[in-house]
Amino acid sequence: MHPQSTPIRVLTVDDSASMRALLLGALTSRGFAVEQCEDGQEALEWLASNEVDVIITDINMPRLDGFGLIEKLRTSALHAERPILVLTTESSDEKKQRARNAGATGWIVKPFDADKLTAALRRVIH
Amino acid sequence: MTAMTPFPPAPGAAFEMVRVTIVQGEARASSDPRVEMSTILGSCVATCLFDPVVRVGGMNHFLLAEPPPHMRGQSFDSDYGLYLMELLINEMLGLGAHKSRMRARLYGGANLNPDLSPIGSVNAAFARQFLERENIPCVFEDLEGTQARRIQFRPASGQVRARLVPSDVAPTEKPLGRPQSALGTVELF
Repeated sequence: MHPQSTPIRVLTVDDSASMRALLLGALTSRGFAVEQCEDGQEALEWLASNEVDVIITDINMPRLDGFGLIEKLRTSALHAERPILVLTTESSDEKKQRARNAGATGWIVKPFDADKLTAALRRVIH
Repeated sequence: MTAMTPFPPAPGAAFEMVRVTIVQGEARASSDPRVEMSTILGSCVATCLFDPVVRVGGMNHFLLAEPPPHMRGQSFDSDYGLYLMELLINEMLGLGAHKSRMRARLYGGANLNPDLSPIGSVNAAFARQFLERENIPCVFEDLEGTQARRIQFRPASGQVRARLVPSDVAPTEKPLGRPQSALGTVELF
């Protein structure tokens, strides 16, 4: 990406205010345009009328969890092809497989490394 | 207060207790009434979380590290504490707890050596701030001071016993940093 191009728009979905603050700092300081939602339901509502280049979602969230969010987005016309990265402390292969089957684009284990995360973001939007 | 009151003396349990030591860098949760978690804290902090409805509890034990070189401008690596807090919460969610019902108790964060930087207080401040941000009420804290503590926690009842112990009983504490093996591993499908 050359610097004068439009910033990549990222939606982060996480119920932890601390994690949202950490992601916001890490991504905005690296030139991303960041929107944030607190759970899958809020993300779904926001995404019904907004565009974004890539979504980063947690798994464990109230109302609608990460799996549910991915499944619903994959059946929507607007976001069926949208790259969705799961960012989670979950380390079980079963959960990873479930995310993959739901249609996730990738799986990132917390604690995240900001440089690896941004490299993955740039890679999946192409 | 029925939940999270101190232990009755000599519990005389009808079953054998299963003792689990929580070492630095760990987070565990359980709903088993036979389990008693214990840890010894110097400048480390332990968070005890309890959901009184499903009677699930958990404990973590962390010490914030100095940040890695590329994270200049922060005096301590709070990402690591955040990771252990989230790990604890997720372990509890996995056992049916709800974040909105969780209550916290904080222990540790002693400044054992008056000649060194007050790392215990930094850890304590991080833990308090995390709970505040996440809207998890902290119903009790026994933080800072200059002495080590031994903490025993029964996750299924939320009961905690904390005692001061001689500082030489506390294990050597060194910030662990983040688990290097799994540091933000990215797997694209």
